[in-house]
Amino acid sequence: MRQVAIIGAGMIPFGRRDEDSLLDMLAYASLKALDDAGLGDKGVDAVYVANMGAGILQRQTSVASALVDRLSLMPAAADAVENGPASGASAIKNGVLAVASGYYDYVLVAGGEKMREVVGWKATDFVSTMTHPEAEYPYGITLPGMAGMFTRLYMEKYGLTRDQLIAVAIKNQKMGALNPFAHVEMIITKEGIADSPDAVVNNPFAADPLHLYDMCPVSDGAAAVILCPLETAKKMAKKTPVLVAGFGQATDTHTLQERKDPTDLKAVTLASKQAFEMAEATPKDVDFAELHDAFTILEIAESEHAGFFKKGEGGKAAERGDTRLGGKLPINMSGGLKARGHPVGATGVAQVVDCVFQLRHELGKDRQVKGAKTGFTLNFGGFGNNVVAFVLRRIEL
Amino acid sequence: MSELKITAYVCKSCGRVHYPFHDRCLDCKAREFDQIQPEGPAKLLAYTEIYNLPWGFDVRTLKIGVVEFSNKVRAMGQIDADDIKKLKTGMKLKAFWEPVRKRYGEDVYGLVFR
Repeated sequence: MRQVAIIGAGMIPFGRRDEDSLLDMLAYASLKALDDAGLGDKGVDAVYVANMGAGILQRQTSVASALVDRLSLMPAAADAVENGPASGASAIKNGVLAVASGYYDYVLVAGGEKMREVVGWKATDFVSTMTHPEAEYPYGITLPGMAGMFTRLYMEKYGLTRDQLIAVAIKNQKMGALNPFAHVEMIITKEGIADSPDAVVNNPFAADPLHLYDMCPVSDGAAAVILCPLETAKKMAKKTPVLVAGFGQATDTHTLQERKDPTDLKAVTLASKQAFEMAEATPKDVDFAELHDAFTILEIAESEHAGFFKKGEGGKAAERGDTRLGGKLPINMSGGLKARGHPVGATGVAQVVDCVFQLRHELGKDRQVKGAKTGFTLNFGGFGNNVVAFVLRRIEL
Repeated sequence: MSELKITAYVCKSCGRVHYPFHDRCLDCKAREFDQIQPEGPAKLLAYTEIYNLPWGFDVRTLKIGVVEFSNKVRAMGQIDADDIKKLKTGMKLKAFWEPVRKRYGEDVYGLVFR
């Protein structure tokens, strides 16, 4: 297998983008990635498009074919990848395999979602369609509801506290306020969301014991990367190439109830382990991580299951500041899903794009992890039933 | 307890109880199952109260939980309780088969615990 590098990355600001269609957003992000790679008016061999809901939300299908047409990339091969909230990382994984196999040399991977054009209950219902159609969906369970149940179990088993969850929310919104691509650019304080009389109004329950500020926003957005063989990247890259040093993907039961220990996110552990083994690295080699914090609890639980902290220690690490910029392991210096936003099909690609920006040392000093050489991303599908992880490494030319 | 119209599946090879259905046993991969219904009181394993509801509900919030019946069947359902503070992990609940939502004007039935 050939080693695969990322030579271009592009993203558009996430948020509410009423003026843009899904195809507009995918095209804008893709053009940015093509320009970033120095491919300009050149073609690619294949295109993978990550999207979860266009068929439901926009009544549009075959988005990969549509994007190829928008970008005049014919006759490139084109495939859409739908894997729930892990669609983005799944699409990149497929692109990496295609280049690694030697079959394609240049691959565009774009992820996008347009969720804000429907009312809240429709967006909530759309996301809930990933739950089990017989055993879960009829009851009105939502992904925040799953996270609420999971959080209570975690509190009971590991002594997780609300203050630890709040520490994650405050950190990620602070970083989001510094990220020009973030949906939520608002700094929050513990007083405002927990300690003052106004907190009850500012931060009501969303899915007990989780509150509004434990949740990511519903967002529109898109992101894209360009992949090619590492040896080609070394010769032609305009910017520092980033090696896809390792990836992993694992699945778990569809329903939480059938997991022997519902607090054990086995797919996170296995996907991360595979990624580290392929990269010949350990969690200690990682300089920063972009984790799937759709809910604050997930950043903590993933940081433990991926191997960065022992079980029960992730919340304490967040509260101590170990996961802030300058801490032992900065997590979600992009603001994470919590602040950058969570257009579901775009998220896994956006995590990798943010990782590329970090590894190319392109961010301002208020978000840049000094001397970052190795990054880790984790994209979490369903409620942990399909997880994709990457270890990415800066290549010095 | 009213008749609970869900079917769980016990692996004939290793005895693992499944709900919902799988074509192969989650543990031993065998394909033969005995069908059983949930029996006995339901022990509450996990619960939440959801404030942002999807399509099909005319209530302000929903309390939802996962229980384990005495014959090891685990299932999700709605919880009929006026205050979530009265719930506790491990408490025993009774299960009923009642409307849980409407879809295109028709009642959809499912498990309700109280």
